[in-house]
Amino acid sequence: MRSTLSMRDRLTHWLPRLVLSPSLVAVFIGVYLFIAWTGWISLSSSKMVPKYDFVGLEQYIRLWATPRWETAVVNLFLFTVLFLAITIAIGLLIAILLDQRVRAEGFLRAVYLYPMALSFIVTGTAWKWILNPDLGVEKVVNDLGWSGFVFDWITRPDTAIYCVVIAAVWQSTGFAMAIFLAGLRGIDTSIIKAAQIEGAGLPRIYMSIIVPMLRPAFLSVIVLLSYISIKSFDLVLALTNAGPGNATEMPSTFMFSATFRRNQMGVGAASAMMMLMTVAAIIVPYLYSELRESRNEH
Amino acid sequence: MKLTTLLAASIAFIPAVAMAEEKGKVEGIHHWVSESEVNALKVITDKLATKGYIWQDSAVGGLSGANALQALRTRLAAGNPPTTMQFLGYEGLDWAKEGVLRSLNDLYVKNGWDKALAPQLLAFVKSDDDYISLPINMHRQNWVWANKAVFDKAGLAEPKSWDELIAAGPKLKEAGVIPLAIGDEPWQILEVFEAILVDVNGPDFYEKAVIDLDEGALSSEQMVDAFDKLRQVRGLVDDGFTGRDWAVATGMVASGKAAMQVMGDWAKGEFLAKGMKPGVDFLCFPTPTATPNYKFVIDAFGVFKSDDPVVVAGQDAWAESIMDPEVQTNFNKIKGSIPARSDVPVDDFDDCAKRSFADREAAVAGGAMLGGLTEGFAAQPQFSGVYSDVVAKFFVTDMSSKDAVQSLVDGINNAR
Repeated sequence: MRSTLSMRDRLTHWLPRLVLSPSLVAVFIGVYLFIAWTGWISLSSSKMVPKYDFVGLEQYIRLWATPRWETAVVNLFLFTVLFLAITIAIGLLIAILLDQRVRAEGFLRAVYLYPMALSFIVTGTAWKWILNPDLGVEKVVNDLGWSGFVFDWITRPDTAIYCVVIAAVWQSTGFAMAIFLAGLRGIDTSIIKAAQIEGAGLPRIYMSIIVPMLRPAFLSVIVLLSYISIKSFDLVLALTNAGPGNATEMPSTFMFSATFRRNQMGVGAASAMMMLMTVAAIIVPYLYSELRESRNEH
Repeated sequence: MKLTTLLAASIAFIPAVAMAEEKGKVEGIHHWVSESEVNALKVITDKLATKGYIWQDSAVGGLSGANALQALRTRLAAGNPPTTMQFLGYEGLDWAKEGVLRSLNDLYVKNGWDKALAPQLLAFVKSDDDYISLPINMHRQNWVWANKAVFDKAGLAEPKSWDELIAAGPKLKEAGVIPLAIGDEPWQILEVFEAILVDVNGPDFYEKAVIDLDEGALSSEQMVDAFDKLRQVRGLVDDGFTGRDWAVATGMVASGKAAMQVMGDWAKGEFLAKGMKPGVDFLCFPTPTATPNYKFVIDAFGVFKSDDPVVVAGQDAWAESIMDPEVQTNFNKIKGSIPARSDVPVDDFDDCAKRSFADREAAVAGGAMLGGLTEGFAAQPQFSGVYSDVVAKFFVTDMSSKDAVQSLVDGINNAR
């Protein structure tokens, strides 16, 4: 009796570890080992195939001396900031409007959420045509008689990145809306009633009470949208193919072409490490603060 | 339409294989997936089948072969190379230096293939003393494709210099035609730039600035002039050029919406597919120059080292199929290029291809046979990449020619 109990004890003690270990091994090899390998390659003189020597930070110096990489970094920041700000602003606005118990809410919600069901390749290709001055918006408006109308952002290197923002916002706004709407539904209506009795107007109620209460929703939206912006590879390829020229180059497209098309595996690995460090700089403080908070709660 | 043809082609292929006496398999990685490419490849594999070997197709399409190279890397790392692999530019030489390719010297000597190839090709099929690949075709890159009706209506003839070509712009615009069809993809712009580079400055300059990457030539006044010319060419292009595929641009010339396109002879297939005839409906002429030159792009197959005698015998059969004069003729009639072998009769080909033959002979004799930069036959990809970065940026912005030359020099030095 005693021995079976200890068997069972041992089993309950070891079973979770046993079940978790294969995935732990897979994650360790598939993620961390390859991060380390990429880090090693970024310090080597690798060109077409991996070479395991050591040249210090030469590839990083080369990387930062490449104008295309600078374009990519500037674009990433421009894109991330605009994409996050506009998506959150529009998503929140639609969520608040939908939260006013409008008729056919279910239908409207589906309409706004639907772009999320498309892949970025489809979005990119469709917007490529919509934004093309000879095929899309500009031509339609011109044909309607307003011949002076110009909307050629996608053809101009200094504005093409905003076209990527437009397409990404279109795709992701519904997603932000859905999360905000869920957050809004979770707010107790008695708080709003109490504020109304105190004489607060609707804008004031939203600005001072409801939006601050949406903090968890904001955090999820920001983290998930940041992911989308850093891995925005397919959208750029489909929409502009990193053009015109290299004006809409992103770190991810740069990494791919250096590694697989230009025999510069070392430079590609260095750019991948730079991307990793950028992500880490954002995610690690966030995880740290979140984990600390949850520990405090216990 | 395309899919059904593909299916039909693959079904038609099965009985031929089944009937052949099976000696072994030849597995090849390549990136030919379009309709004409698949049909052309079938010419070689049919020949292979008559020798008793089954072709095992491992096509990896996309990104001009970048995906196929990735597949090869994985296979080599796993110790399981394919029998053969299609190479563009320096790829074959790079793999030969890694020591994974089989030397084909015995076959070259036995069949006299070395004498059938233009000496300039040897730079790409021979690594040190070893022949390492088998060229099947030769595309000419520096062509201008023009709509004959548009040219006749505007009273234009084949231009004799880039200045003449540029001067035709206003006339064509007046007639409501876009003078030059192009997309904003860096490689499409680089095709035009490298044509200007050699047409205006001569083959010697191209060799110094592009093949040798000589810093003096890179930063010279001639380079600035070439960029100035490219700036003028920019004026021939419409505003809707962003995101335009090369084949769409070819379609614009075919429909008469645009007058000209600078593109390799893979564009010919687009005209022929529309039922248009060379010299009647469309014109083909080399990019205009006082110093005639021939920019080549070849597709070649290399074979990988193996200890298995069955595999080696299959490789021999594969090599003999590729280098067979009849196969080279039939393959290239479908593909739009001309045979890599210089000793194949020209009679069956169309006028554009005949001109290509004649110009190749002249260029070989005159030392004006040059590898195309865009497709990786003039400089390693890390350097041609710098060229395409700078040229594309220059084309779509208002960068000055001097700044462009400076970033070209800096970029090349950074990639060395």
